[in-house]
Amino acid sequence: MHEYQMGKGLSFQRSAIALTWIWLSVFALVPSFLVFITSLLTPGDSELVRLQLTVDNYLRLFQPTYLRVFLRSWTLATISTMVCLGIAYPFSYAIAQMRSTRVKNLLMLLVIVPFWTSSLIRSYAIVAMIKARGIVNGFLLWAGLIDQPLQLMYTDMATLIGLVYTLLPLMILPLYVSIDKLDKRLIDAARDLGANKTQIFFKVLLPLTLPGILSGSILVFLPAMTIFYIPDLLGGAKTVLLGNIIQNQFLAARDWPMGATISVALTLVISICLFLYSRKFKNQQEFL
Amino acid sequence: MKTRLTTRLLKSAYIAFVYLFLYAPIFVLIAYSFNDSTYSLVWQQFTWKWYEMLLENAELHLVAYHSLILGVLSASFATLFGTMVAISLYRYPFRGKRLVYALLFILMVSPDIVTGISFLILFSTLKMPLGFWTLLLSHIAFCIPFVTVTVYSRLLGQDKNIFEAAKDLGATEGLIVRKILVPLLWPAIAAGWLLSFTLSLDDVLVSFFVNGPGFDILPLKIFSMVRVGVKPEINALCSVMFILTILIVIAYQLVTWKKEKCT
Amino acid sequence: MHLIKCLNKWRLRIAGLLLCLFCHLSPVSAADREMLNVYTWSDFLPDAVIKQFEQETGIKINHSTYMSNEVLYAKLKTNMGEGYDVIMPSAYFVNRMVSQDLLQKIDIKKLKHVKYLNPEFLNKEHDPRNEYSLPFLWSSTGLVINTKYHDKKEVTAWGNLWDKKYKNDLLLIDDVREIFSMALLVLGDSVNDTNPQNIKAAFEKLKLLIPNIKLFNTDTVRSIYIDEDITIGMGWSGDIYTARRENPDLAFIYPEEGFVISLDCLAIPKKSKNVVNAHKFIDFLSRPEIGKQIAMETGFATTNLKAVDLLPEAMRQSPILYPDKETMKRGYLLLDVGDAAPLYEHYFERLKLGD
Repeated sequence: MHEYQMGKGLSFQRSAIALTWIWLSVFALVPSFLVFITSLLTPGDSELVRLQLTVDNYLRLFQPTYLRVFLRSWTLATISTMVCLGIAYPFSYAIAQMRSTRVKNLLMLLVIVPFWTSSLIRSYAIVAMIKARGIVNGFLLWAGLIDQPLQLMYTDMATLIGLVYTLLPLMILPLYVSIDKLDKRLIDAARDLGANKTQIFFKVLLPLTLPGILSGSILVFLPAMTIFYIPDLLGGAKTVLLGNIIQNQFLAARDWPMGATISVALTLVISICLFLYSRKFKNQQEFL
Repeated sequence: MKTRLTTRLLKSAYIAFVYLFLYAPIFVLIAYSFNDSTYSLVWQQFTWKWYEMLLENAELHLVAYHSLILGVLSASFATLFGTMVAISLYRYPFRGKRLVYALLFILMVSPDIVTGISFLILFSTLKMPLGFWTLLLSHIAFCIPFVTVTVYSRLLGQDKNIFEAAKDLGATEGLIVRKILVPLLWPAIAAGWLLSFTLSLDDVLVSFFVNGPGFDILPLKIFSMVRVGVKPEINALCSVMFILTILIVIAYQLVTWKKEKCT
Repeated sequence: MHLIKCLNKWRLRIAGLLLCLFCHLSPVSAADREMLNVYTWSDFLPDAVIKQFEQETGIKINHSTYMSNEVLYAKLKTNMGEGYDVIMPSAYFVNRMVSQDLLQKIDIKKLKHVKYLNPEFLNKEHDPRNEYSLPFLWSSTGLVINTKYHDKKEVTAWGNLWDKKYKNDLLLIDDVREIFSMALLVLGDSVNDTNPQNIKAAFEKLKLLIPNIKLFNTDTVRSIYIDEDITIGMGWSGDIYTARRENPDLAFIYPEEGFVISLDCLAIPKKSKNVVNAHKFIDFLSRPEIGKQIAMETGFATTNLKAVDLLPEAMRQSPILYPDKETMKRGYLLLDVGDAAPLYEHYFERLKLGD
């Protein structure tokens, strides 16, 4: 029986590693490679791409128009992430502090359940709420708080609301997981040593839950950079964001190489940021 | 005493507020499933007709069912693989770890449309017919990084001494994984499953490119109906699905509560 | 003991999952019935029509939908058109698909009801002898106003939209060709212009319009006009016709300078293997009663003359859906602009980026 167990152990390790490699090679390595190669090709007229290597696409990236879009997307994504973080942290903390595990699990489940409804439908619901003749305006007008309906739709604010709403659970979940596993005694110890609330937060809570903050932020920031239907639906398609441009390149403009280039560039920029960040925290074992 | 009460009230109020924010659009969409208007998003009058239409629309039922099955399968396999990847990264030394990190990262960063198109090219190169299988594989593929991130984040900060102790006591790797890691990581694994299920249910762009004729799923159907002006029939469907989910959650809670009381 | 129990539990779970998987192979293996894969715009094929065809012929239809020509094109190119038997591209895409050998010839002899097609839409430049496509539904792009807020007499031409009083008021269709056609018509050029100078001039003209534009939209045009979020802009005739059922204050105006006609055609991808059934389906759609049913449900104009005759009076006489000959003279069919397409896209992108 002992040998059987031994065999099982080694094979688990081997199969886990093998699986990791096989899967990632097929579904991550090969497609990424394809995308990278595509970014170096030229757009074709009758074929989708012509097999002609060029770095033109990368040079085009440095035009002010693209840089402006990139900056706008980056800003919007950053603001969404910070708002999500601001809303999610107290929330996850409050729930993690509860004593009953059952209640905590139930509450977390209830966070996700709305998100099993199509996000497109929920975005339409948000439209119905903030339209000129929508629910929010209807209520405010009825309560006499305003005279004229608020023009919430087709603004950057609407896009922000849509983004925060859609991406909030992606921040709540990892934060909760990270806060929950904290050893509460550390906080008690800090309090015993005379730390006040601010000190506890900045010196104990924040550093210890940093992995959760980081994962949550990544999970929110990335889609926020590339989602396209929310700016379209709520922002009036006037503000062009990165997601819209990439979508456009692949479909309408039929410029696959350019679409691939923007994607590769985005990946590079984010990798560099994360790399610099991890260098700063070299001692802590971070995920990338 | 007073401050403790106020902080507790504040906490509860805040939690309630966040839930209100999360659920408000759901209530709105349920309300609008009773709205007697095809395109307008302003309330006209009450009607049951969309629910009647929904009952008769067998195709829509099938589509919803497909989405659910796809979601459950991709979430389960993605959680399985993703956890194994996270454990491998954390515990086992092997060459090319950095590459693995990089690949997971790329999968997560890539915009949906890029992932969708690259998978499409992959599948057509492999001459795989597009349909259920390509859909399933793609969903598993893009869910894995999310599971891995969640599980790994929980793995960090685990006390390594536990594993040392277990090894000293003669435990094999398989045993350590099953008896120690999985229970410890259970919340993260469950969170990963839920996250994957959500992502799979809602995915439009990747599914769009790798799907073939014959296996329609809900997000695609909704997305394509957008041109028509999403009829409240879809609202009715989403409302029904939502109510069912809530009922299942409540039922599950009641069952486990009863079990707890008995033991 | 415990180990074995654990193993069994996992085995059970994995077996359960695999069982689910195999249950799902059944749709794939239920190929006893003949199938036809139809890939169309989302609102063009009512379920009742599909069911009728299935009942009459016993052929099962797999209906998938797309929301833009570009997506259809991308799918066909990468998938090499395999899997789909009947598609519904717009006329100017038929152009391109034919030149890239993505479509196969349609055998007119197999189609009995084709004789009812409106000759106005046959033998056009995109497919001179209609070898590869048959016109099916059409609509025009024109001015839309809410008569509660605007005067019909004041808004009669595309040029009116440039008036400063419409600041931040307009809805424009989010399509490069539609928007540029508007500017080209105002400048007196063709909607299918390939001259870079003219295209640039159109771009400059459009830049002046930017302060007036409130939003770009193609998908929810109806609900926006009905709910009066926007009271003036562009729109499609079919959309506005159906929108008027919920808001009768809306008016559709055919501009003086001219307007774009969008023609959606039926075609068969080259690699389709189900050619016989594809023809059966196309013939079925060409039946007058079916044409009428589709026209009534979707609100779009049908190219089938007999079907038009069968329509209720209100629809048949509607100046929105079926304008008179005089008006139709000002209509221009959108065609493929070939190499100029990237230039259009480039300017459109710059326009949207507020450059």
